[in-house]
Amino acid sequence: MSPPDLRLLRCGDTEAWDEAFRWLWPVAFAVAELKLAHFLPGDVEDVAIETLEEIVDKMREVKCVEELKPLAASIAHNLAVSRLRERFAKKRGAGQTESLEALQSDGSDSDELAEDVSPLAALEQTELADLLAVVQSELNADQRALLGDFFLRGLSYEEIGRKHGLAIGTVGVYLKRGLEAIRKLGARHPKLMKEVEAFLR
Amino acid sequence: MNGMNDQQFHDLAMKVIARQATEAERAELDSLLTGNPELKAEFERLRADVRIGMELLPVVAATEATAPEFPAYAGERLQTKVRQTLGANPQLAKEAESARGWAWRLWLGLATVTAVIVTLLIPSLVRPPTALIQVAMLDTTGATRGDATNEVAVLQEMWQKSTVQNFTGNAELEAWEKAWPSETQRSAAKIVYDRAAGEVRVSVRRQKEIIQKSFTLERDLTAALKQAKAFIDEQTTR
Repeated sequence: MSPPDLRLLRCGDTEAWDEAFRWLWPVAFAVAELKLAHFLPGDVEDVAIETLEEIVDKMREVKCVEELKPLAASIAHNLAVSRLRERFAKKRGAGQTESLEALQSDGSDSDELAEDVSPLAALEQTELADLLAVVQSELNADQRALLGDFFLRGLSYEEIGRKHGLAIGTVGVYLKRGLEAIRKLGARHPKLMKEVEAFLR
Repeated sequence: MNGMNDQQFHDLAMKVIARQATEAERAELDSLLTGNPELKAEFERLRADVRIGMELLPVVAATEATAPEFPAYAGERLQTKVRQTLGANPQLAKEAESARGWAWRLWLGLATVTAVIVTLLIPSLVRPPTALIQVAMLDTTGATRGDATNEVAVLQEMWQKSTVQNFTGNAELEAWEKAWPSETQRSAAKIVYDRAAGEVRVSVRRQKEIIQKSFTLERDLTAALKQAKAFIDEQTTR
């Protein structure tokens, strides 16, 4: 599916928007599902639709069509995090707001909830969208796959080596380089670093 | 670093952070970090890097998702939003329509130009290879005379890629005239300048057909050869 024509989108062309909605839906849905699948699976589609509505609102600020997918991901992420916070606040009693640190120290399922809220929520939508786009361009697919295998899927060096046809020593070198790239990206976002440090304390 | 290099420390730290380390490895890292604030700070930075990576990577992966399909029920709600937010801009709509019209015109124009170019190119692309030309002169009076030598040069000048054969007897010439090249797909022509008869005889083989024509030397040899050449070109480029 090819990206929609930005000029047609800006002037509200129905066909162009149909195309854009089909193009952006998988992104909005996948990010919403990532954040909400555990606690609020019934809200995933709602958040994805709200994401696309917000894209319509922001259309005049978008400079090129390549910005749209990272922006959709960023909007979906932050909307999903808001829903998680609302849910937590309701559980705690109406009108109360909680910091992420409080969520973390709460115990029971709130620890998991805090895990799902994520320090990325500290970033503004456009800032997060930029960061996502930069990660896509600066960390290649192989590096991302390797990091994901180790930290997200819990594979050992040996298992990763077998999966990707690499020597164990090479796996370590690749992971190190990947993390160095992430460190450089993180350094450009002090708010994110601060939030992460708070998470890790 | 207690005999441990940077990569080894990194690997050990990674295992501990990913909770894949054994008790012994964990103890080894603890002993490395104890009393080494610099290394401890590096370990904390690595934990932060990992945390950022763990947050970012799934979202980046989701950004590249291509499924599921957009649900039809959401279309009307979203198009209403589009109309409310962006729909009331006839000037922009007109510009976009115009841009779309131009795009179509551009494509149509390009398609037309392409069609014309292809039409013009096809004949040149499918044109058969140039005819094989063989040239001979029959000089029953002998080839040593000065005039005959000049005439060979004229023949050679007209068909520079061919070698002019010189025959002094009819029998040899006839044998040469009957010996066509074996490459039957390619047209061929034999040109014989008969000095005694004062004519240029041309035989053109096109597929299996042999076409013959004679040109008498009314003015000079060059004029007759030009006529012969024109005839060959006409027959072989049909």
